[in-house]
Amino acid sequence: MWRFVLRRILLMIPVLFGLLLLTFTMLQLIPTDPAAALAGDNATVEQIEAIREQFGYNDPVVVQFWTYLKQVSHGDFGVSVYSMRPIGADIAQRLPATIELTFVALILAGVGGIVIGTLAAVWHNSAFDHIVRVLSVAGLAVAAFWFAIMLQVLFAMDLNWLPLRGRLAVGIAGPPHVTGFYLIDSLIAGDFGLFWQSLRYLTLPAVTLSLGGLATIARFTRSAIVETMQRDFVAYEQAVGFPKWRIVLPYVLRNSLVTPITQIGLLFGSMISGAVVVESIFDWPGLGSYLVQVIFAADYRAILAVTLVIGVIYALVNIAVDLVHTWVDPRVSEHM
Amino acid sequence: MKKLLLAGAALATAFMAAAPLPTQAQAKDSSLVYGSVLPKGLDPHTVYDVTVQQVALNAYDGLFRYEGNPPKLEPWLAESYEASADALTWTVKLKPGVTFHDGSPLNADDVVYSFKRLLGLGQGPSGAFKPVLKAENVTKIDDLTVQFVLDKPYAPFLSALPLVAIVNEDLVKANTSGDDWGSAWLSTHEAGSGAYMIDPATYRPQENIDMTRYADHFMGWDHNKAPLEKLHSQGVSETSTRVLALLHGDIDLTDSYLPTDQVERVEKADGVHVEKNQSMRIMLIRMNNTKPPFDNKNFRKCLSHAFNYDGFITVMLKNLAIRNAGPIPNNLWGAPADLEPYAFDMAQAKAECDAAKAEGAPIDRKIEIGIMSEYTQSTQAAQILQSGMRKLGLNLEIVPSTWAQLTTQAQQASTTPDMWVHWVSTYFVDPENWIGQMYDSQFHGTWKASSWYQNDKVDELLRAARAETDQAKRATLYEEADRIIVDDAADIWIYNTVDLSGISDRVKGYKFSPVGSGIEMRWVSVD
Repeated sequence: MWRFVLRRILLMIPVLFGLLLLTFTMLQLIPTDPAAALAGDNATVEQIEAIREQFGYNDPVVVQFWTYLKQVSHGDFGVSVYSMRPIGADIAQRLPATIELTFVALILAGVGGIVIGTLAAVWHNSAFDHIVRVLSVAGLAVAAFWFAIMLQVLFAMDLNWLPLRGRLAVGIAGPPHVTGFYLIDSLIAGDFGLFWQSLRYLTLPAVTLSLGGLATIARFTRSAIVETMQRDFVAYEQAVGFPKWRIVLPYVLRNSLVTPITQIGLLFGSMISGAVVVESIFDWPGLGSYLVQVIFAADYRAILAVTLVIGVIYALVNIAVDLVHTWVDPRVSEHM
Repeated sequence: MKKLLLAGAALATAFMAAAPLPTQAQAKDSSLVYGSVLPKGLDPHTVYDVTVQQVALNAYDGLFRYEGNPPKLEPWLAESYEASADALTWTVKLKPGVTFHDGSPLNADDVVYSFKRLLGLGQGPSGAFKPVLKAENVTKIDDLTVQFVLDKPYAPFLSALPLVAIVNEDLVKANTSGDDWGSAWLSTHEAGSGAYMIDPATYRPQENIDMTRYADHFMGWDHNKAPLEKLHSQGVSETSTRVLALLHGDIDLTDSYLPTDQVERVEKADGVHVEKNQSMRIMLIRMNNTKPPFDNKNFRKCLSHAFNYDGFITVMLKNLAIRNAGPIPNNLWGAPADLEPYAFDMAQAKAECDAAKAEGAPIDRKIEIGIMSEYTQSTQAAQILQSGMRKLGLNLEIVPSTWAQLTTQAQQASTTPDMWVHWVSTYFVDPENWIGQMYDSQFHGTWKASSWYQNDKVDELLRAARAETDQAKRATLYEEADRIIVDDAADIWIYNTVDLSGISDRVKGYKFSPVGSGIEMRWVSVD
């Protein structure tokens, strides 16, 4: 299995190179001058030219790409023309917030989707099943920004149960930095009040972000279980007289989870892109809102760096998903 | 299973209903929460836009400052100044006893260093000085006197001085690495003397800026008996969230760009209201005067008459904008008071277009207008123009774009779009900021001059106004130039902005100025 992991990690390198090359080429096609953005609103023509020279935007594209690759291979993303800080520092500051949000949303979507899908399958063709089917279609169709604002209006404005925006209350400092995840860091610090607060601030954005995934996983789980229920071993176990839940929970579920788990890996990608919208609406200080800002500022290097980091995470999550596969279905590991 | 569900529901309820939110907690102490888009960095010499004013006006001081509306230029760190007869040498005397936040004195060395740093970095507000001032020509005469020698006479020099924040030389130098002028450090720290100090420990870019009152600020605090002790700036990027947060009491004050369709909603709610202040920010539709048919004056006049100004301002913007005839804001000197704006008149438009066609202008070609996707209003204006042009049988295509992309295209006449929509805000309060930099051909290649307008007489007038120090004489020159440009229909000028801020009733002493849009906090107190 370790050989499998190693092979997959090595395979990431050409994939990420391709990703960088593609993004770099696409950015060259957009007629935007980062030097002009950097020079400011009152810049003279000479000033813009001087900055272009200073940041190497006048070099041939191939040279720029090569210089960039050399830099990145040393772990240096360069300086952001947007924030004037090292891009690595910008990303390090914002990445944990996005990962925390996305993982909580993924867990909500995964656990919620599997539970709901299982119940819908067990109560096949019941009213519950029909409602789930309708809602899961709706969940995919609903625009995230609309759903987010509805949640804000209901839970923050009208009911006053959950916070409206942000990651923590105004004037409250985050827990001492260990992992960057407030949920974990506040527990490490033993500050349960802060943990509770972080969880409450996380709830609405995570629920919004999980909606699409929840619907997808519920649908896949339901149809997989309905299919498995028709297999011979189920009929045999029923004949022997096992109660229904003893059949479904250990046997049917395990046989049905392969498809939903594959979905989780794929969903992670759409969740990262969904985070762009969700983070903007809830002022969640993550990579998604950063990406929006650097795109508007035409900050090429920052856009490339964010793309690369998301690419790495996406690849790693998919390796992890494959490993979970082997655990759920040992037959898979024979192919590794 | 049922038990499990019940337990789950109980847990969820407990979770949601736990402890009321600390939304009104800030009411207890003397602090205020400002919700807006935060500046991309804290360095006032590299960042130059509207958002950075909250840092520039609160954490820093300049030699001069604009106060009030209409803005008046007040000596700030400067005690007095003197200009030589040829308007080339400017000598500024500093107030004694001013201290930076670290307690060290602010003197001529810091002023000289600040200008050298600004010009050395060549970013942000340096564009206002680069054409006329070299770094080596800023010199210290004595501890409290600084001398500037300009390359050529430049009357707006004084009015541009508020753009330059004075930084603590020793502190910045101690945090400089290589030739970066300390810009990496200063993008997350401050080195100022202003009325509020930024706490670098809780600063998180675009997310949170905390400021604490600087009790030893050189202006003293006699003007405000109960000043804010703390100011929290929160990054709120979406308008809908900003309005909800204001209504909910999470923030006390929004930036001054509340969309007009939100005004009624805020005014109806309890405990909050909208501050409306005429600013100096011109909205216009740019025309690339070099591209046929836009090189034809009749065609430009045709389009100037085909825009439904009234419909746009009264209906779409609910009258929260003021029609402006030309490029200089109505409320600034230099704008001719009697100048009639172009009227929406389809018959007149048709006559002008027919004349243009008779002269051979290719008016039937597809015309493109660039809009900024980040500003809905730019799309609305383009649509109003589109409907007017459709009635004339003209074909206008709206091309979604961004500020960064459009300003890049504006660097060359051939890549500048046929038309684009934008605003010109107050960087410094002088007609030079508008008409001077927009229509003098020496600025071709900058976004402000992107109509590529070329008129020798106008060049002459604007250059004369730039070299003249007597404001009355300058006003006459600007008025004449303004009339010519408006008669030439170089662009379609639409309105001067009314700034709209959502504000909690607990905030007292809010003072608006077009420079900084009311973000100067030393006036403000809270109930």
